[in-house]
Amino acid sequence: MRALITLLKTELKLTVRGMDTLIFGVVFPCIVAIILGIVVGSRPAFEGADYTFMQQSFGAIAAIGICATGLMGLPLTVADYRHKKILKRFRVTPVSPALMLGIQFIVNLIMSVASFVLVLAVCMLFFGYRMTGSFVGFAMSYLLVLLSIYSMGLMLASISPNIKTANLLCCLIYFPMLIFSGATLPYEVMPKGLQRAANILPLTQGIKLLKGTSLGTPLENILMPVVIIVALAIISIGVAVKTFRWE
Amino acid sequence: MEKALVVIGLKKSYGDTVAVNNLNLEVCKGEVFGLLGHNGAGKSTSIECILGVKKPDSGEIQLLGKNPVKDRKQLFEKVGVQFQQSNYQDRITVAEICEATHSLYKAPSDWKKLLQVFGLGELKRKTVSELSGGERQRLSVLLALVPNPELVFLDELTTGLDTKARRDAWRYLELLKSQGMTIFLTSHYMDEVEALCDRICILKKGSIIAMGKVRELIDKSPYDSLEDAYLWYTGEEGAVNESAYHLA
Repeated sequence: MRALITLLKTELKLTVRGMDTLIFGVVFPCIVAIILGIVVGSRPAFEGADYTFMQQSFGAIAAIGICATGLMGLPLTVADYRHKKILKRFRVTPVSPALMLGIQFIVNLIMSVASFVLVLAVCMLFFGYRMTGSFVGFAMSYLLVLLSIYSMGLMLASISPNIKTANLLCCLIYFPMLIFSGATLPYEVMPKGLQRAANILPLTQGIKLLKGTSLGTPLENILMPVVIIVALAIISIGVAVKTFRWE
Repeated sequence: MEKALVVIGLKKSYGDTVAVNNLNLEVCKGEVFGLLGHNGAGKSTSIECILGVKKPDSGEIQLLGKNPVKDRKQLFEKVGVQFQQSNYQDRITVAEICEATHSLYKAPSDWKKLLQVFGLGELKRKTVSELSGGERQRLSVLLALVPNPELVFLDELTTGLDTKARRDAWRYLELLKSQGMTIFLTSHYMDEVEALCDRICILKKGSIIAMGKVRELIDKSPYDSLEDAYLWYTGEEGAVNESAYHLA
C-alpha cells in the first residue's frame, strides 16, 4: 500500500512535469470545447431539436481526454520505461507487474478525470451548458468507456516489442479513433457511409453511450455494447498482465 | 559456511557468441566476492543471469537458497542491485527516486542517512539528469543499499568516482561487511579489489581462469601485486605498462 501511494505520487508529479499528457489530455479537449462553444455552441443540434449542439457534443469532447491518456499517455510511458531499462531496475525489486501497470492506469485516470472536470467547467461557465440527462448514468458510461480504452492501451504497452512499434500502434489506433468516432468531428455531420464504418470503432459506441446518458435520450440495446466492452476489457487486461515484459 | 549464492553450470550465448561458459561458483554469507575480467568477459551477463533478468541457456542458480525467477518478490526484499548502467524516469529528483525505491521494501534503510553517507545530501532537490557522472554513480550504489539487503550486487561500483568518493564508498562497504552483508562486486580497479574482496574469480571469454583468495592468487603468480597477477592470469602481462594509466 505504501509502495502504491508513493509511486503514484511520484508518477503523477512526473506526468505533470512531462507536459505532453497535460497538453494532449487536458488542454486540448478544453480547446476543442472552447472552439465548438464559440462557433456553434448555443445553436440547436438540428432543426427543431430541443438540445443545443454543445449539449450533443459534450460526451464526445469528454472522450478526447480518455483517448489521449489511455492510448498515448498510458502505453507510451510504459514502453518508454521499458526502453530506458527503468523497468529492468524494478525487475530486481519486490514490485509486481500488476502494480507497475496499475499505477500508470491510475495516474492517467486522474489526468482524464481532471480533463473532464475542466471541460465541464468551461462548457458550463462560458457556454451555458447543462447536462439534461442523468449525471450518474453519464459517470457510469464514462468509466465504462475509460475501462475499454485503457485496457486497450495496457495491452498495446505489453505487446509492443519496442518503443517504435508502441508509437506506431498507438498512432494507428488513436488518430483514426479520435477523428472518426465523433470525438472531434461530430458523428452527426458525417456522411451515412462513414457513419457505418465508424460504428465498428469501440469508441463510437462509447460516445453514443456518453451522448445518450448526458442528453437523457432513451438508449436502445444498451446491454449488448456494455457486455462487449466489459468482456474486451477483461481479456485485454489479462493479455497485458500475462505478456508483460520488464525488458 | 552458509551459502549466499550458488551457481552451477551456468551457460549463456548470444547467437554464436558464448558469453558465459559453464560458470560454477559459490559465495558464502558475509563474504565480499569480486568477479573480474576485461570488458566483454561475461561479468555483467553472469550477474544478469544470476538475478534472473536474463534467461540462462542452462545451469542452476540459488540466491539466498531461492530461485531468482520463481521467488522473485520474496527474494528481492533482501537483495540489492546496482546495474552497470542505470536510467531513471525523466525529470525525477534525487529525493523522489530515493523515496520511491524506499517505498518498495518492507524493512528498508533510512535513505536520508544514506544520502549523507554518499555525500549527496545537498543534491536532494536536483533532478537525476542534473547530476555529474560521479554523483549518478554514487546514487546508483546508494539505491542498491536502500533495501538494507542481506546480499548486494554492485556492477562496477566506483567507475567514474574521484579518489575521495572511492575511499568513502570502500569505507562504507567495509562497515556493511562488518555487519554481515554479503557483497558481490565487479571492478576494473585492482587496488579496490585488494582492499575489499575476500575472494575473487577471474573470467576470460566467459570461462573461469582463476578463483580463490586474493593472497593465494597473487602467490601462485610470478608477481607480487594483484594488478600484475591479474594481467598474468588473463595472459596479457605485456600490456602492464599501458594499464598503469587506468589506475589514476
